[in-house]
Amino acid sequence: MKNTIKNIAALFLIFIFSGSLANAQGWSVPSSAKKKQNPYEATAKNISSGKKIYNLNCKSCHGDPTMANMLPLAPVAPTDLGSQNFLVQSSDGEIYYKVNKGQGAMPTFEKTLSDEDKWMVITFLRSFDKNKKERQQVAEIKNPEVTDVKLELKVNEAEKNMSAKLSGVTKTGKRVGLQGIEMSFLVKRSFGFLDVSGEDPYTNEKGDVQIQFPKDLPGDREGQVNMLVKVTDDAFYGKLEEARVVTLGVPTDPVNPLDERAMWGTRANAPIWIIVTFVGGVVGIWSVIFLVLFQMIKLPKLASKQD
Amino acid sequence: MNDLPKQKETTLSFEKIKKDILHPMQNHKGLELWIVFLIAVISVCGWAYYIQLKDGLGVTGMRDYVSWGLYIANFVFFVAVSLVGMLISSILGLLRIDWITPISRIAEIIAVAFVAVAGLVIVLDMGRPDRVLNVMIHGRFQSPILWDVTVITTYLTVSALLLILPMIPDLAICKKELTKASPIMKKLYNILSLGYINTPEQHKHLHKMIRTLMVLIVPIGLAIHTVTSWLFAATLRNGWDTTIFGPYFVAGAFVAGAAALIIAMYFFRVNYKLQDYITDLQFDKMGKLLVAVCLVYLYFNLNEFLVPGYKMKTGDDVHLKELFYGHWAIMFWSSQLLGNIIPIILLVYKKFRKPLPIMIISLFVLAGAWFKRYVIVIPTLLHPHLPIQNVPENFVHYYPTAIEVSVTVLSFALVLLIITVLSKIFPVVPIVETAESKGIEVKIDA
Ligand code: HEC
Repeated sequence: MKNTIKNIAALFLIFIFSGSLANAQGWSVPSSAKKKQNPYEATAKNISSGKKIYNLNCKSCHGDPTMANMLPLAPVAPTDLGSQNFLVQSSDGEIYYKVNKGQGAMPTFEKTLSDEDKWMVITFLRSFDKNKKERQQVAEIKNPEVTDVKLELKVNEAEKNMSAKLSGVTKTGKRVGLQGIEMSFLVKRSFGFLDVSGEDPYTNEKGDVQIQFPKDLPGDREGQVNMLVKVTDDAFYGKLEEARVVTLGVPTDPVNPLDERAMWGTRANAPIWIIVTFVGGVVGIWSVIFLVLFQMIKLPKLASKQD
Repeated sequence: MNDLPKQKETTLSFEKIKKDILHPMQNHKGLELWIVFLIAVISVCGWAYYIQLKDGLGVTGMRDYVSWGLYIANFVFFVAVSLVGMLISSILGLLRIDWITPISRIAEIIAVAFVAVAGLVIVLDMGRPDRVLNVMIHGRFQSPILWDVTVITTYLTVSALLLILPMIPDLAICKKELTKASPIMKKLYNILSLGYINTPEQHKHLHKMIRTLMVLIVPIGLAIHTVTSWLFAATLRNGWDTTIFGPYFVAGAFVAGAAALIIAMYFFRVNYKLQDYITDLQFDKMGKLLVAVCLVYLYFNLNEFLVPGYKMKTGDDVHLKELFYGHWAIMFWSSQLLGNIIPIILLVYKKFRKPLPIMIISLFVLAGAWFKRYVIVIPTLLHPHLPIQNVPENFVHYYPTAIEVSVTVLSFALVLLIITVLSKIFPVVPIVETAESKGIEVKIDA
């Protein structure tokens, strides 16, 4: 949500700055900044979380890496950050500097992204660099080629935790666990999903990942909630997800705001004071009116009284 | 009254008052022609309404953004004008201000006509007028709509009573004097005069009833326009979301009502030859009253626009800029200048408070009041807080269609028709009260 707002704000900036961009200069990155090293390893986990951050913060302008589907901004369009050209020319430190400083329509992320997040994005981008194959190899760890990938869930209601197992069948016909894959554990709420995956939702060498379900999350009357568990990144094995109703929430009697007496309620649920005021006013005023009408009848009689 | 010394001239004068006031009701050639004209207008415009009824509200310019258009602006205007009944015959009446005697009935006639048609305008604005009773059957106490319908019906009833009750002695005179009247009218006078022969008991009894209603109509009158303002102020919208809307509307209503009364006074004075009754004094006093209420309204306007204009809150700013120097500037400033500020300046001078000049000024004030309502209702609707995405072009503008204009003309013609008919069957200047205020003996035969 916060990031959506950031993106919208960034889009506004585009319009504001697009005028001044007309005479934009090239980037000037100090050579000391260029030498800065990425302190994070190109593990599958880091790449995966880098991708997440990229999708939220950068994709709206830069498009998908290597796809060259960026926003056609004028006068300088955002670079395809996965293109070999760009990756060859830029050191990690250089990208880091540019992301921090921004230029023209490119917003500054100095304050809006943590250092770790920025390095994760850079790790992710670097995974497209063909010259760094050896690293990428490291990144795409050990998982053998598999078919028939399966996602199995196990729920422990007493401990309030749940685990997922990701496995596939190798060429030799053996079912093995898939390692280092990020999973998302999502709980359906009124508007969209709540991510309860926690800090480290990556499968271990057996293909297992376990998460602790929050202790205070309201469910329905029986404490049931709708869960959706999925492999975060469709790029690995395609869309893989499993929906399940689990009894892990706190049993909660739903409050229908229409059930209470309120200004927004139905007529039957109008606040007492407003009913009393209305009915009282109508009855009060109309009794006086009827009283006067009734008095009118007396008028002809008063004429004869005179005689 | 009965114990006053009998004088020959004064008895004659009472005859003269009766003759002066009753004569034009039956011997006014132009009046019938005028009524025929109004009925013709109503019939033609009725055709427009028929089309709207047949084809639905799509024939109007109203769309999802502007769902309250010309009709509601007109409704607010009518309600505003009708408030003059409460101002003149009740507030000033209770204060025993004597110069209102000859014009209080005109004020009451205006009130009845405008509030009756105001209620009708709401029905005209409905796509399914056959469901109007649902407002009562299913209405929510929390909704200003239910309050509005209730309070308008109540105001209409009390205004009608305040028209008829003080007229009872005059009706008794009509019964005797209007020998040429049709049998139906005679019957009407007979019934409505309730056997009144001005005995002291009857006099006392009648005035007690009238005073009760005069007090009663003050809260109802305040309520009718406050509730109407709450139809707007109870919603969260730029330009309507303000706390002073109730008193603001009431103040504006006094302006519109006073102006309408002055115009009506002028036409009755000229057409019914009532120069001896609706005198320069009444115009002079009404002019001063108009200045007073205009000043109050000006003060409210200052609050209503200067304070938000100083802050220019997001949302308000678009609305206010459109009013101050955007699309609505001409309408906004002409209603403020021609309809309020310039009239105040002119009416300070006595020579502008003579009948003809003040009538012309009042025409401007009344027209300004009408456009002011239009500027209150429509621009706000064009700037919703949550705009519709990919909104069709015709949602973001509003121009009333010929149908809407015709139906609005119909409502005006109807108001004029009601005023005309009421002034044809009832004496527009109170005969007995006028005589009493001049210390002339009143004699009503049984
Ligand atoms: C509002 C749109 C927008 C967003 C969001 C955005 N960028 Fe940019 N970015 C641009 C534009 C436009 C340029 C080109 C600026 C220039 O060269 O003047 C650019 C340039 C860059 C450059 C330099 C490219 C080069 O050719 O040297 C890098 C690196 C970069 N962006 C990284 C990122 C990253 C990482 C993110 C997300 C954290 C991001 N950008 C988010 C619009 C955006």
